[in-house]
Amino acid sequence: MPDTLVPAQADRELVRRMAAGDEAALGALHDRYATLLHSLVIRIVGDPDDAEEVLEETFWQAWRQAGRYEEGRGGLSTWLVMMARSRALDRIRSRRRVREERWEELPEPSYVEAGGSGDVPSPLESAQADEVRRVVASAVARLPPEQRQTVELAYFRGMSQTEIAEATGQPLGTVKTRARLALTKLRDALAVLREDAR
Amino acid sequence: MSPEMGHDDVRTALAAEALGALDGDEAEAVRAHLADCAECRSELEELREAAAALAHAAPPAPMDADRSARLRARLVARAAADRAGGAHDANPDAFSTGPALKAVAPPLSVPDDRGGVIPIARARERRGGMGGWLAAAAAVLLLIGVGAYAARMKGRYDALSERYASLDDERTRLVRSVARRDSTLASLSGAGVQVIELASTQRRAPNGRMFWDPATARWTFFAHDMPALKAGRDYQLWLITPAGPVSAGTFRPSPDGGAVVQATYPLPRDQLKAIAVTEEPAGGLPKPSGTPLIVGTYGTTE
Ligand SMILES: [Zn+2]
Repeated sequence: MPDTLVPAQADRELVRRMAAGDEAALGALHDRYATLLHSLVIRIVGDPDDAEEVLEETFWQAWRQAGRYEEGRGGLSTWLVMMARSRALDRIRSRRRVREERWEELPEPSYVEAGGSGDVPSPLESAQADEVRRVVASAVARLPPEQRQTVELAYFRGMSQTEIAEATGQPLGTVKTRARLALTKLRDALAVLREDAR
Repeated sequence: MSPEMGHDDVRTALAAEALGALDGDEAEAVRAHLADCAECRSELEELREAAAALAHAAPPAPMDADRSARLRARLVARAAADRAGGAHDANPDAFSTGPALKAVAPPLSVPDDRGGVIPIARARERRGGMGGWLAAAAAVLLLIGVGAYAARMKGRYDALSERYASLDDERTRLVRSVARRDSTLASLSGAGVQVIELASTQRRAPNGRMFWDPATARWTFFAHDMPALKAGRDYQLWLITPAGPVSAGTFRPSPDGGAVVQATYPLPRDQLKAIAVTEEPAGGLPKPSGTPLIVGTYGTTE
């Protein structure tokens, strides 16, 4: 299964160096993925301090587990995104459990215009990132609203399909079908990127 | 939900699994099937990749440059200390070959064309007889001894590093919590802080108070006498603007009906019309579905 959503060769090299204990590779991993992971994590946790901690935990986990990373199981960005998302969701869940902790949420619009600061990727990397973003965004935009909502509630809010069914007043089977249709369309859209990069 | 699921049912559920949205029993049944079905496994991989790509659909939000530089420096320093201190999770053998052992027991690797322990053997050899064998045995014992010592030191070093790391984490947590507390106090007591009272729309008398500091865009909301919630339900706080309600977070009251919520949301003064609290499914919704339990209007007067 090819993974060329991101420059796969460079990613493999980074993982290999991390597994060999080269801390500079962790710095390079940070430079390459901090913006993507931060965009995801801040969308979930809202609070910049929490986001920073989640990012640190994620990169640290990548460092510790670099030797276990299996190339066959999807690309490096998939691996990192999965770790970051699951840690971010853990954080909002524990925040929900511990009642005296305040729930802080930064509503979406306040970050949309952010930009110009932060990490500066190379022109090539940022062009590739822009391309991925463009393809994903247009695929998501083409989804019918109810499919998009289903996927967003699960992905960014960590809701289970039962919770989504309850929240949206839809039967469980409908929720499942919507999630399936949405992800399948997204997968097909991403296939374009793979072929381009080959 | 049946404990066993057929191939078709599992296929239908794979998207939810890729999104991590399966509930307990079903997740178990799906995972059991995956162990035996390569087709479902490979489909799940593709769907997972599609799900991960959703990260690109989040509004691009680069990290603040200072924060990012600090995080980077911290990571690299931690990694360097980790490398010096020992193994990665995935590399349990690193101890026997890793740099830490070399650092602890350099005498063994002092170059000698016939090996570092030869001089001892030579000295003994002059006495003749079994000397050579004894010397060899002694050398082996010495090696074992140094190895054990190195292992002990390595163990202590690891334990201390871990303890240091956890103290450091704790310190960071405390510093942050103090900083947050300070900023809460500041956002409640600042000169420009606006206060909005929320009154009940129901027979019981839940009520709330919202503090808004436009300068820092921080909102602090206190609720009192809120009715208890059923499982699976949360209260959700809304900032009502001309463009519609904006979620300011969800909360569950403590047993005495009180709650505190904080949010950061920059909003021009003239955009805020009201604050409302509704009861919603746990985790909240993008738009309110319930009728407001308490409402506070925000006038245009200063
Ligand atoms: Zn199957």
